[in-house]
Amino acid sequence: MEELLEALGISGPDALGGAAALGLLTSAYNRLGGIGERGQELGAQLAETQMGQAAFRPYTVTTATGGQFGTQIDPVTGQLRTTMGVSPEEQAMRSQLFGGAGQFYEQAAMPTGEREQAIFERMRVAQRPEEERQRLALEERLAGQGRLGVRTAQFGGSPEQFALAQAQEESRNRAMLGAMQQAQAEQQQQAGLGQQYLAGSYVPQAQLLSSITPGMTAAGQAQQAQLYGTGLFGEASASGIDALLGAALGQANLFGAAGTGLLAGLVGD
Amino acid sequence: MAQELRSINLVAPAFKGINTEDSPLAQDPSFAETADNAVIDKRGRIAARKGHEVTTTNKTALGTAALRAIKTFRDDAGNTKVFSAGNNKIFSGTTTLVDETPVGYTITADNWKMVNFNDRIYMFQRGYEPLVYDNTSADVEAMSDHTHSTGVASTMYGNEVLAAYGRLWTADFADNKSTIYWSDLLNGIHWSGGSSGSIDISKVWPNGYDEIVSLAAHNNLLIIFGQHSIVVYEGATSPSSMTLSDTVAGVGCVDRDTVQYTGTDVIFLSQTGLRSFGRTIQEKSMPISSLSKTITKDIISLLQNEVDFYRSVYSPEENFYLLSFVGQETTYCFDVRGTLEDGSYRVTRWPGSLFTAYETRRDGKLFIGTTDGISEYKGYSDNGVKYRFKYFSPSLTFGDPSRLKILKKIKPTLVGANSATVFMKFAYDFGTSFSTTEFTVGNQQPAFYNVNEFGANSVPLSEFTGGELTNQRSLNAVGNGTSVVVGLESDINGFALSLQEINLLALIGKTI
Repeated sequence: MEELLEALGISGPDALGGAAALGLLTSAYNRLGGIGERGQELGAQLAETQMGQAAFRPYTVTTATGGQFGTQIDPVTGQLRTTMGVSPEEQAMRSQLFGGAGQFYEQAAMPTGEREQAIFERMRVAQRPEEERQRLALEERLAGQGRLGVRTAQFGGSPEQFALAQAQEESRNRAMLGAMQQAQAEQQQQAGLGQQYLAGSYVPQAQLLSSITPGMTAAGQAQQAQLYGTGLFGEASASGIDALLGAALGQANLFGAAGTGLLAGLVGD
Repeated sequence: MAQELRSINLVAPAFKGINTEDSPLAQDPSFAETADNAVIDKRGRIAARKGHEVTTTNKTALGTAALRAIKTFRDDAGNTKVFSAGNNKIFSGTTTLVDETPVGYTITADNWKMVNFNDRIYMFQRGYEPLVYDNTSADVEAMSDHTHSTGVASTMYGNEVLAAYGRLWTADFADNKSTIYWSDLLNGIHWSGGSSGSIDISKVWPNGYDEIVSLAAHNNLLIIFGQHSIVVYEGATSPSSMTLSDTVAGVGCVDRDTVQYTGTDVIFLSQTGLRSFGRTIQEKSMPISSLSKTITKDIISLLQNEVDFYRSVYSPEENFYLLSFVGQETTYCFDVRGTLEDGSYRVTRWPGSLFTAYETRRDGKLFIGTTDGISEYKGYSDNGVKYRFKYFSPSLTFGDPSRLKILKKIKPTLVGANSATVFMKFAYDFGTSFSTTEFTVGNQQPAFYNVNEFGANSVPLSEFTGGELTNQRSLNAVGNGTSVVVGLESDINGFALSLQEINLLALIGKTI
């Protein structure tokens, strides 16, 4: 410092003043340096604070039927993880519907032959009593007419027997065709039911998904409020820091101005 | 004091035919106890039947056998051919019997039935493939050998065949007695396809079981004769839909060859005598419907003893229905012009008749089959052999069975019987030993216009005559009794004989 003062031509008693001026300048200088560091430190602290304040907060939405939708951060990987779960009742219903859909599709995918035969047999069971009544009535009529033993090249038996047999055969044929159509309709019905069951089995999930929308909105609003608060917090903190730094800068400027003035008085003498 | 001779006049004796059913004492004298080789002639008298003149001159193929069937083939073109069967062969022709048996076709029985149908003649016999003939092929051939035949199978080798309602119908098979087969429409060789068919009437018999014997078509009905019942179907023009019209239990048909059509009725022989289908249907087999009520027991006895076969014929020209029990060489002749009070036909008997087949021809001639071949019912000898006409009255009591009758005179009136020796017989009190007196009828050759007027070499034979010879005799009688049977016998050998009346003169004696 003596050498600096000597370089500046200050010596002696001025030197004391010069030394004091230099001291003030040095202090101002140092204060400025400290202010920067302080500002950086406070900024880092603010950023860290705001990072914490702005971080995602896991949330869970629970529906009225007991279904839950949740989003968490994996503590290990830090990944965002979303989970959904329906209530046990809904799960049971879903399983039932899903299983039913499988069964319906399975039935729809099966060949219709056996079902046709089954339907045909049921129709025939319904038809046979009347056919038997008709046959007996014809038999009695033919017996009364003495024609039970008629055999013809044209009709096989009597014309009436032929007509009855033809009618019954046509009825059988209609039953067969009806059984085929019924079996195909049932096949289509099975497929439709499978479709409906399958769609129904996803209803709890769909309802869960649709029910989380309000929850997600609320969470988003909370997130926005959180972020807004974080912003306000940052702005407020930054203002304080600015004020602090401004005060420190004023002090430094004051020291610098005092040192400069002092020094300038010394040098001007 | 001498008594007055009482005259009992038997006018047209036996014009009611034979009656062996009623008690002889109670009988109407118009019946006869015996009327052999007789018919009821055009004037209602008992008369000798006609004989038969053999037409066949060459019967080598027939051998010693008898003809069992005769039928005339006739088609729309007017072709005719007479077929007959015998000696296990099929013949054609009347003068020379030509063997028409198909080559390779073996026959061991002659019970053929032949029918004409749609320009063909068909021959059926149980167990044999039917034979068929038409003028195109000009050969008798087995039905299956016919070019267009179908469905010919052993199942339809029937014994009965009927041509009716546009079809052939056959029944009475070796192993099936309740089924009737019918051919295709208008085609007797088509037994499959078309509208052919069959009906099994085993469930229709009114008595539960019977066997078809014969078929007949009458009044738009198909009549099925069983042995002991009759089944009638109507609507047989469409056999697939024909319906049962009637059934009659207890009356059946003995044999297919006893069924004859009279135009207004069907006559058949049942187990209890000759019957009319019309009346059987009307009266549901009431006994009154019997047409042979006066000889029921005789018929039943013949039926029970018949081991051969039956033949019958209806001749509208001769006004009779002949029923032959061939095995017993007996033929009954039923006069169909009218019936007696009880509904019976007047009947006479032709014993010893060796007639084995009949055929009524369209020209009115009646063909008769015998061991001599084909004969015609004509003349008054059986191919030159005489036969005996017999008449015996029932027992006559002259209205008072308790008093003696002393015959004094028998005065028969005969018509015809040229040169014949006539035996008048009488017996008393049911005796079987007859007193006989005989006489010979005179000779007369009646002269008809343009016939016999001049005789041989223009020598007049009988330029003027009284027509048929009528002969009245007065014969003495002896003996006495409470009842009298009078008889007349004469050999018929060339001339007709009719019995106009018998006048008996008798004294009525004391009561015993």
